[in-house]
Amino acid sequence: MEIDKAQNGDICVLTLTGRLDTATSPKLQEILTETISSSEKIELDFAAVDYVSSAGLRVLLSGEKNVKVNGKTMTLKNILPEVMEVFEITGFSGILTIV
Amino acid sequence: MMIIVQDLKKSYGSFEVLKGVSATIEKGEVITIIGPSGCGKSTFLRCLNLLEQPTGGTIKFDGKVLNDKKTNINEVRKKMGMVFQNFNLFAHMSVLDNLCIGQTRLLGMQRDEAEKTARELLKTVGLAEKADNYPDELSGGQKQRVAIARCLSMKPDIMLFDEPTSALDPTMVGEVTAVIRRLARDGMTMVIVTHEMEFAKNVSNRIFYMDEGGIYEEGPPEVIFDAPNREKTKAFIHRIKSFRHEINSENFDFIGLTNELLNFCVANALSRANSNKAGLLSEELTVNLIDKKDLVGIYFSFPDNQESFELTVTYGGEARDVTQAAGMEADIIRGLISDITYTYDGTNRICMKW
Repeated sequence: MEIDKAQNGDICVLTLTGRLDTATSPKLQEILTETISSSEKIELDFAAVDYVSSAGLRVLLSGEKNVKVNGKTMTLKNILPEVMEVFEITGFSGILTIV
Repeated sequence: MMIIVQDLKKSYGSFEVLKGVSATIEKGEVITIIGPSGCGKSTFLRCLNLLEQPTGGTIKFDGKVLNDKKTNINEVRKKMGMVFQNFNLFAHMSVLDNLCIGQTRLLGMQRDEAEKTARELLKTVGLAEKADNYPDELSGGQKQRVAIARCLSMKPDIMLFDEPTSALDPTMVGEVTAVIRRLARDGMTMVIVTHEMEFAKNVSNRIFYMDEGGIYEEGPPEVIFDAPNREKTKAFIHRIKSFRHEINSENFDFIGLTNELLNFCVANALSRANSNKAGLLSEELTVNLIDKKDLVGIYFSFPDNQESFELTVTYGGEARDVTQAAGMEADIIRGLISDITYTYDGTNRICMKW
């Protein structure tokens, strides 16, 4: 998984490419935690993510809790249908802020 | 060497089914015979105990030439058990009597001794409580297990199975193959004609692929199923594409498994949706839902036209259907797949179809 970090005005955009699974989720966990501590608004671009397992969901859930507690925001965009299916099955589509 | 077949021929009129088959079967071997319909698999098997009379060649069993007029074939047949597609139980006798009659009539055992053996055998095939029932009161799978127990009651040196699961409802195949697997573990010499490819893969030491009137290719299952050498074997095997990964639970390598599975999907030009689905099922089960120490293996298959898919995960430990667990891991599996079958025969087996 490749993770690109860029600043767009006051928004920090993380562009993800690849599979978000047991093997790659720790990397997102690390970068996301660090990004949340330094930015108010975080955006995750999922356009090039075609696979998310429960390991990825756990990282997103902990990120969501982290921003809530600290009064920040995290949004996910460009979600592919097969990833959206997993979000919907697990109820994550109602927990995460998806635009 | 238990059986030596040399240049065996069998014709029906001018139609030559077996055109000179040679093979050897050693004690303790489990051999499955696979191949297209009409290739002579059953004919070959039935020639081994002379249920079909060969038109040429020889069959030696324990040094005796069976198709020699001087050989007493009935004596030999006592040592060669046969299990048929249609069970061939005696319908007018109870299950217990079915298991006793051969012992008392052919082996000269006393009735009480025969009954004791019969009840023990019924226990080993899980049907102790059916001793007093009649065959018509049993399901197909139960009838076939009785047939196997009856065969064992004759204390055979070798067992021949002629498509033992072909007449069964798909839900009953597992209970019969489980019994045959146990016999294999106990060291029984067996020759099995079957269309159940996964079973053939798992149970045998050697596979005979029959075609063109003979044994076209033979080898261990990993060669015949994963790397067959000859053209027709390849065509037959590759009608079903399959991926198998045995898991060494001590140091389960998730990345290794995922890469192998993805490479298999890419090599077979699977759609992203289907390879992702297989990947997700595999990941949630192997990483999150099943205890690492219990993991046994994963099997993924589909026909050439990719119209249906089947992924099976097996694991040890106590009987437990992990897809019924609470939490998002099991939610993902149940959300993606509506056709999930769980069975337990000493090994937990979850089969998911889509």
